[in-house]
Amino acid sequence: MKTNTGMFWIVSAFFFASWVAYTLWTWLEYGYPEWVGAVGILLASALGAFIAFYLGRAHKAQGGELPEDRLDANIEDGDSEIGHYSPWSWWPMVLGASLAVTFLGIATGVWLVFIGVPLVVIALVGWVFEYYRGNFAR
Amino acid sequence: MVNRPNVVQVGTIVWLGSEVMFFAGIFAIYFTLRGAAPELWATESAKLTVPFSAVNTVILVLSSVTCQFGVFAAERLQARRTARWWNWSKWGAIEWFYLTFAMGAIFIIGQVLEYAMLTQEWLTINSSPYGTIFYFSTGLHGLHVTAGLVAFLFVIGRMYSVSRFTHREATSAIAISYYWHFVDVVWIGLFGVIYLLK
Repeated sequence: MKTNTGMFWIVSAFFFASWVAYTLWTWLEYGYPEWVGAVGILLASALGAFIAFYLGRAHKAQGGELPEDRLDANIEDGDSEIGHYSPWSWWPMVLGASLAVTFLGIATGVWLVFIGVPLVVIALVGWVFEYYRGNFAR
Repeated sequence: MVNRPNVVQVGTIVWLGSEVMFFAGIFAIYFTLRGAAPELWATESAKLTVPFSAVNTVILVLSSVTCQFGVFAAERLQARRTARWWNWSKWGAIEWFYLTFAMGAIFIIGQVLEYAMLTQEWLTINSSPYGTIFYFSTGLHGLHVTAGLVAFLFVIGRMYSVSRFTHREATSAIAISYYWHFVDVVWIGLFGVIYLLK
């Protein structure tokens, strides 16, 4: 994970250097900086720094190296609880379809939005609480 | 024992990375228009009431602080307060998130009021390129805040629906806090560019 962090810092530094070069170059060429690229490249640098910073913090918080980062680790050392994964769910499809209705309404006739938005609400509530109801209530 | 980074939290961060580039596009539009029509900025940006928006900004930034206190409570796996309501040091995640929700809602109300005031001064989304990018950038940020408010209700709802607060509820709380801090930082950027630099 140290390597991952380092790579994202390198990405960030590269884009920062590119930003300086790009801004100066376009400034000298046109008399004003070219804003789309300047802003885009600077925030690409921010993007790299953002993920690098987060990975660095996560690495500190985990209290040691993960098995996949150790040469002396065995396969079974990585056998831990990864998280909660839904085996299958209809809710993403319901949400996607109801969003499609909503945006179709924005594009064509507003009346469809009044049908779409309640469906979006139902889909969101259904998805968020899928593993909090019925058999899964705890 | 090594703690594997939580996949939900890592995923949230990666998605927020894409949000950085989404707002990068908006900032790029803003600076391009400003570079193309500086005289428009001189007349139109004078219509903004900076002190009003500054107060609104402070409320949003403070809501990030209350959100973080909610995360601290969630990390203690404490959903509810353990003392009377005025003893805020004993609050659980639910109380802190309600307070955060209220502050975020005040921010949105303030923004709607501001839009109404600016519309009275003939700054609208189709009055000029300045109006377009002003409402486009602050409006998309406002939609993000509104979506965050809805998400807070979902996270609070999950906390109510379980009899025992576990790491799964804490994970939702931490993920929404990442999003909330991100939206807060984006607003600081927008506020600096639109209201302070003018």
